[in-house]
Amino acid sequence: MSAVDYSHAHGGQLPPEPENATLEGRNKILGFWMFLGAESVLFGTLFATFLALRSQVLDGPTEDELYKLVTVAIATFILLTSSMTSVLAIQAMHRHDTKGIQLWLGITVLFGLAFLGLEVYEFFAYVEEGHHFTGSAYSSAFYTLVGFHGAHVLFGVIWIGLIIAQLSKKGLTVVTAPKVYVAGLYWHFVDLVWVFIFTVVYLMGKVG
Amino acid sequence: MATEHYATHESSDSVKRKGLHEGPRNHFLAFALSLLLTLLAFIAIIFQNVLETWFLLSFIILLAILQAVIQAVFWMHLKDRGHLQQRIFFTGGAFIALTAIIMAVYWVWW
Repeated sequence: MSAVDYSHAHGGQLPPEPENATLEGRNKILGFWMFLGAESVLFGTLFATFLALRSQVLDGPTEDELYKLVTVAIATFILLTSSMTSVLAIQAMHRHDTKGIQLWLGITVLFGLAFLGLEVYEFFAYVEEGHHFTGSAYSSAFYTLVGFHGAHVLFGVIWIGLIIAQLSKKGLTVVTAPKVYVAGLYWHFVDLVWVFIFTVVYLMGKVG
Repeated sequence: MATEHYATHESSDSVKRKGLHEGPRNHFLAFALSLLLTLLAFIAIIFQNVLETWFLLSFIILLAILQAVIQAVFWMHLKDRGHLQQRIFFTGGAFIALTAIIMAVYWVWW
């Protein structure tokens, strides 16, 4: 092997796209897209259940009575902005700027935590108003769909937090770069699912 | 292995610069469009008394699909060269998801 072995490369020796530089890295990204395809199916079935059962409220509150559009709007803008900051982390990675990746991923995690805080607050308020998980077919479908998305945000926050820590320890290499890239894809997907949640659950719930 | 693949990347460098490292411009454009589409959807709901329900519902769903496509294409790099397999998996997943939604709604309500 006359050329440089990139698996141990640091800093300036990294290829321009460290996430695509090895076969393992490319396989990881491709495998992650298979996972995202499966995730779409999973969320699709949860949306299907919700759409089928949304009017079955029994004696609980209806959607129109429950949802506060202001909270939903704030949550939506927080998550949208966090998706943008994770793009900036990938841009920093293409400049081989490890500190920049950590900074932008850190901001992404903070936005994610803010989103989760809002969601917890929202769910607490709903329970106060008599909207329980086991209250009706609608309430179960609602908490399963929105809660599952919240669980994805929580998982993303923990995962990206660990990647930031690992970058401090190991730096940006052809091994760590695909992880950063794939975490970015995951975060975009979580934001993409939220686009449909705020439209299908909250806005359509307001229209009735 | 790694070096060979890197070498093939190098040889197509000129093509790649056009396709991949376009800088943050398109990403910010996608962000601005997403913000705009989100705002439009919320504004449409505020004016729900003025608009017909069927129009309102199809309008906000169209906005959501448009925004999802913009984010997938720009932020998730689906437009980039060498992303055919990614497109296949994601479109396949979305297609099955949509089938499940149509099935459930049709099954329960008609």
